[in-house]
Amino acid sequence: MPDLLNARLKNLIVQTLRLKDVKPEEILDHEPLFGASRFDLDSIDALELVLRLEKEFGIKIGSSEESRQALATVATLADFIRGRPPGRDA
Amino acid sequence: MSPTLDSLPTGIEACDCLTPFGDATATTGALLAGRRALQMQPVLGAAGGDLVPLALCGSMDETVPPRWLPDLRRLVERIPGDRWGTARRPLIVTSSNFGVGSLYAFTRDRDPRHLRHGPPFACVEMLQREFGWGEQVHVISHACVSAHLGLVQAARLLHAGLADRVLVVTFDFVSPFVAGGFHSLKILNASWPAPYAVRATGSIGLGDGAAFAVLTRATTPLRLEAHALHNEMHHFTGNRPDGAGFDACAAAIAGTARGRRVWVKGHGTGTLEAGRLEAEAYARHLPGAPLVSWKGSLGHTLGSCGLVELALALAGLRAGRLPGTVGGAAPCCTGNVALEAFASDGYDGAILTSNAFGGAHAAMLLTHD
Repeated sequence: MPDLLNARLKNLIVQTLRLKDVKPEEILDHEPLFGASRFDLDSIDALELVLRLEKEFGIKIGSSEESRQALATVATLADFIRGRPPGRDA
Repeated sequence: MSPTLDSLPTGIEACDCLTPFGDATATTGALLAGRRALQMQPVLGAAGGDLVPLALCGSMDETVPPRWLPDLRRLVERIPGDRWGTARRPLIVTSSNFGVGSLYAFTRDRDPRHLRHGPPFACVEMLQREFGWGEQVHVISHACVSAHLGLVQAARLLHAGLADRVLVVTFDFVSPFVAGGFHSLKILNASWPAPYAVRATGSIGLGDGAAFAVLTRATTPLRLEAHALHNEMHHFTGNRPDGAGFDACAAAIAGTARGRRVWVKGHGTGTLEAGRLEAEAYARHLPGAPLVSWKGSLGHTLGSCGLVELALALAGLRAGRLPGTVGGAAPCCTGNVALEAFASDGYDGAILTSNAFGGAHAAMLLTHD
């Protein structure tokens, strides 16, 4: 059974970053999103995604290092969000 | 692309700066005492937000006239000579911000008076009127190497015979717009900057800063001998992970310092990767040269840091002691990082560096008798 949070995150990534040639369900849970990735995303994309995630989930990402770890894959992002009660500062 | 190396010696006739501690002498004294100007303050000023390290001369919020004008006037009053901005005495004004915070204030308040000094050239025109400067004004803005590029431009004007003396003035005062931007990038966080320290999370601080230098072709006791400029052309906000950008600039400027005993005032903002790459590059090319950063106390004065920190280096030389890396902490990423102040005796030169978004690197060789 697909993980609902992962599926929601994949949709959000495709929408926020306007990935034209990628369908949400094609993104694998453990594939890299940034760096050596097929999506060709950069730090400005990461910034857009972080701002959207903070609004969408009411979380705070406190530093670029934390952001890099959280945004490594869809799975790490889901783990990060599950570990952060809404509104809690990093 | 290879670095550009300008071996165009210029004499420093006068140089001073303004920080929350005061002028260069007062600021260097505070650094030598290990004091930190940064304080945890709301990132958006009166609008609140997370607490982040800011070193401010007053309230950050935008005002009409701009809140920084009286501070800048106090600095300008210390500039020797007159007729700046005339044919043989041109003026170079640099900043990465100018009045950008006022443009944001206009969108918030709809007060058209903010527009008078918001855009860069409108801002410089206001300064020309305020300080009686003439029309020969060069305006340079290239993110956080802006002031350094102003010094390079001055050297080029002098050596091209286009000027007898050049005044370089730089200023960057933090606004909620700018602080909010760095906070969004997650590099202005809730922790103190600790340049070159090995730790899990990096953070910069931001600081108000302004400075001036009067440069001449004449040989003076304090000289800027050479400048190295390089752009990685790699990414807006990131450096090449192999450190090649830092290495290229360090190699070029180190070549100009052969035979001298130098120390290094690094850029060292408190971000982890850039700090490590810079420290490694200078450990490789200038082994034994102590490396310091002062942004752990003063924060990053953005486009003005190159000239603000030059003024502090000169004040340190006058005092006979050079501040260590205030706010830094062991373990450091390389062994060349000097955490404590040290005597200037025995040194006859210094390398001063600035870096900027877009992968821009700048380094200069300061020499003294």
